[in-house]
Amino acid sequence: MLVGDIETTLTPQEVEYARKQLGREPNALEWSMIDAEWSEHCSYKSSKPIIAQLPTKSPRVLLGPGYDSGVVDIGDGYVLTFHIESHNHPSAIDPYGGAATGIGGVVRDILCMGTTPIAFMDALKFGDITKSDHSKWIMKNVIRGIADYGNCIGVPTVAGEIEFDDCFERNCLVDVACLGLGRKDKLLLAEATHPGDSVILIGGSTGRDGIHGATFASRTLAADTEQERSAVQIPDPFTKKLIIEATLEASESGIVRGCKDLGGGGLTTGLSEIADKGATGLQVYLEEIPIREPDMSPIEIMISESQERMLLVVKQGQEDVLRDIMQKYGVAYARIAEVNATGIIAVTRFGKPIANLPTSFVANAPIIQRKARAPTAQRAGYEHEQPKNLEKVLLDLLCSPTISSKGWVFRQYDHEVGIRTVAKPGQADAAVLSLPNGKLAAIKVDGNALFCDLDPYVGGASVLAECCRNLVAVGAEPVALLDHCQFGDPNDKEIFWAFSMAVKGIADFARVISVPCIGGKVSFYNQDEVTGKAIKSSPVIAVVGLVEKLEHVTKMAFREGETVVVVGRTKREVDGSEYYRSMGARGRSPPSLDFDHEKRTQAGVLDCIRDGYVTACHDCAKGGLGVALAEMAIAGAKGASLDLRSVVADEMRDDELLFSESNSRFILTTNKPDHLVSRLTERGIPAAVAGTVGGSELHLILRDRELRCDLTTMQDAYLNSLQRILEPWQK
Amino acid sequence: MNPTFSVEVVISNKPRARDPEGETIIRDLMHKSGFESVKEVRTGKLLSIKVEATDEADARNKVVAMCNDLRIYNPVAHSLNVRVRPEN
Amino acid sequence: MKVAVVQFPGSNCDRDTVHVLKNNLKLDAKLLWHNEFDGEYDAVVLPGGFSFGDHLRGGIIAAYSPATKAVRKMAEEGKPVLGICNGFQILIEAGLLPGALLRNTSLKFVCQWTNLQVEATDTAFTCAIEKGSKLRMPIAHNEGRFFADDELLDQLETDGRVVMKYVGDNPTGTSRGIVALSNEDGNVVGMMPHPERASDPALGGMDGIKVFESMLEWARC
Repeated sequence: MLVGDIETTLTPQEVEYARKQLGREPNALEWSMIDAEWSEHCSYKSSKPIIAQLPTKSPRVLLGPGYDSGVVDIGDGYVLTFHIESHNHPSAIDPYGGAATGIGGVVRDILCMGTTPIAFMDALKFGDITKSDHSKWIMKNVIRGIADYGNCIGVPTVAGEIEFDDCFERNCLVDVACLGLGRKDKLLLAEATHPGDSVILIGGSTGRDGIHGATFASRTLAADTEQERSAVQIPDPFTKKLIIEATLEASESGIVRGCKDLGGGGLTTGLSEIADKGATGLQVYLEEIPIREPDMSPIEIMISESQERMLLVVKQGQEDVLRDIMQKYGVAYARIAEVNATGIIAVTRFGKPIANLPTSFVANAPIIQRKARAPTAQRAGYEHEQPKNLEKVLLDLLCSPTISSKGWVFRQYDHEVGIRTVAKPGQADAAVLSLPNGKLAAIKVDGNALFCDLDPYVGGASVLAECCRNLVAVGAEPVALLDHCQFGDPNDKEIFWAFSMAVKGIADFARVISVPCIGGKVSFYNQDEVTGKAIKSSPVIAVVGLVEKLEHVTKMAFREGETVVVVGRTKREVDGSEYYRSMGARGRSPPSLDFDHEKRTQAGVLDCIRDGYVTACHDCAKGGLGVALAEMAIAGAKGASLDLRSVVADEMRDDELLFSESNSRFILTTNKPDHLVSRLTERGIPAAVAGTVGGSELHLILRDRELRCDLTTMQDAYLNSLQRILEPWQK
Repeated sequence: MNPTFSVEVVISNKPRARDPEGETIIRDLMHKSGFESVKEVRTGKLLSIKVEATDEADARNKVVAMCNDLRIYNPVAHSLNVRVRPEN
Repeated sequence: MKVAVVQFPGSNCDRDTVHVLKNNLKLDAKLLWHNEFDGEYDAVVLPGGFSFGDHLRGGIIAAYSPATKAVRKMAEEGKPVLGICNGFQILIEAGLLPGALLRNTSLKFVCQWTNLQVEATDTAFTCAIEKGSKLRMPIAHNEGRFFADDELLDQLETDGRVVMKYVGDNPTGTSRGIVALSNEDGNVVGMMPHPERASDPALGGMDGIKVFESMLEWARC
């Protein structure tokens, strides 16, 4: 609403609350600061009560949600930091700049904990690129943006996930997660705790780009994007690289007490949050802030979201040491504030006070209790004749953008820099990176909009289950998760219901599997204002896990002569599957998830991997058994001859057996099939030998037919599909 | 038959937006090598296009329309500078 | 043997290179910030990355750095000088190696392992490898397409200055599959593939180590 002369996103209730708390009318600058900090994007005012359900503690967790990144203790004095960010709204109108600056944003959160960024993951959702030129344009530019930025700063992008669906046509989702590595004794917090310390702004200058970025992300996209133009942010990875080097050196030197990244809401949120966390106040000297255009107003300065800026809280008296480090790297710096004990953020310009707000007031938006209502619309089941040619169905699924190999994407990402990437993209279910203490970190990101759309509770839990399965498949024990909840307009009661249920599903399963949440993001308003169409519920989960030693790392390639074992029970659960999507169908409800059974299955498979019984492992997910087996064959360039009638399964048609997406299933290969099967079955985990690896075709014996798919044909479908769709003219 | 016009299209970041490449070139190459008199550098991409049109205005309109339709530049982030060379 | 690895603003394979030299080859290797590099070393490596953001052209701004003057002096003194990826671009822009490195024909960054063949072994970085050996090493770059006119290409081949070529697939469209060159004396080599990324079996192979082992052998001769 309009407050005085200022256009804000504040509700009348928030305006009323602000006036009451302050006991006076805030001025224009103060209203702008409140608006920026209280935007949904920065304050989580709608979502805090819901995300409070997530479990956040475990013996390994040093810091949970509420900090720039979550922190996990991995022993020997080392820690991992983990964070996820999104740039959905900017990427929808400037996919290159939006995605690139998304990378820039998430890396700052890792950096300001005093840790070194060592890997990225990207979780992306686009419209149907087989039909839409617009989505092709968005996708190509998003990938190029992530590549240019990540490659330039020298942090490998090692894993990711891309989903394609009509609902993302005008509202693409661009999520980037970052993993950091550091020393426990060098951890920094984004807190200004000591009066007398200086707050130094380093990096780029403050300009008019990115004004209203946070509030931009807290509204739906308007048809006329003219207004949106000032929300565009220019990526500058070269400056970021210099900032990374300078910040790490400053942090090593011990002169930095805290570090805060400037993202949504710019200086307003950065300054108020460090003071609020440190329970202190700040005296801010507006004239000290380096600005790009001489006629910028105080409002523009305080809410600008110009990129590549960070705040360093430097110990009193150590400002010269900082200056020397910044000068070495050519990073601009300015002392813009001083920490005091007032509990107030006071902004002056050449001595004249222009804003005066209690830090805890501005940093803590009043919670909005939103209403939720379950949808009443009934969904129809889907009846269809079994297609005659199941080889064709399998090949079509292997070609489909969501399932097909993402080689076209990850070959544009430098995934080797840092010389840690032991399991590279396309080789295994998760990325695996070596750590200095002999252990390895495994990371993966997953989402499933089809499942979550049908049932957000089961869907949310299933996404977490799948992500953990992917970690187990490489020999890792899941340790902590990040959740990224992406939904439409929270004012819509059904959308808010879906959000609440998804978080509940994630929280309930996280508790059962003992994987706490150490951070995350909520991104609302992902809907097209013109059509009113919201995206499907899209919670995305990233999980980090630990592999005890290099020998445990397991990849997915089939190898000659090994025995294939299918673990888990396949149920008649084709609803919500990629198979159904390929037929334009949805179904009624997603595959069920038995929390305890999933937990037991994962633990059982991990033990077998650690004990050396498993030579290759792949989890069964999108595309079911058929696709999973094909992927292992393609990875190893080896066929297999398998009798799927031996797979533990309910009674069902051949197509259902092949493409059902039941949870809690893995495909393993082994040289000790008897040991493996008995180890699993004695723990109540269904397992059955299916056959042997060999030959140049995937030969599957089903209940009513035999399927034979030639390896070269499958490879061509799977490996070359994206190239054909996006760049048909390239050889 | 319509005459052919030479049209030069320069795509660069919008004037108000930063140009990190230009900044690096002036700071780390030119000024460090003693060319202090250079005050600003902005970079862009040049397309030299030959197009058939009825007159200069038509040539310009055709090229601008094409650049918009094919997203040769993104108006959200870039500005388009179009120069039609006089007909020979 | 004291080896320097020069870090320019924007280099990012510097620490990887130092790590391999120190840990795998047990060398006295040091990371030097470009302004602090004085050329007083036995060998120097210019690592991969995006020096100065690759702005204007990959390697051009770094070529004007005082560090590059020091590198030139070391090259003239016959010391081993290796430019990897962006380092190769810097050596070309500094005039220590001929030709140009243009954008890949696919117009995209390419990160993948490649099959190479060693063509010349009288260089500081291939003297410990048998001529004709097949190696596997990863590439990761946007501008790795070597270009020179036919006359220069013929000359380089005749003079034995083409050090490595792609065998089979040419993922970047580089002329005649050329991925590594040397100067006339063989002490300066530029290569697009990353030997420091092929120095650990867990990461995909050990062929990269031979490049650094050659440097040691060259010093002994």
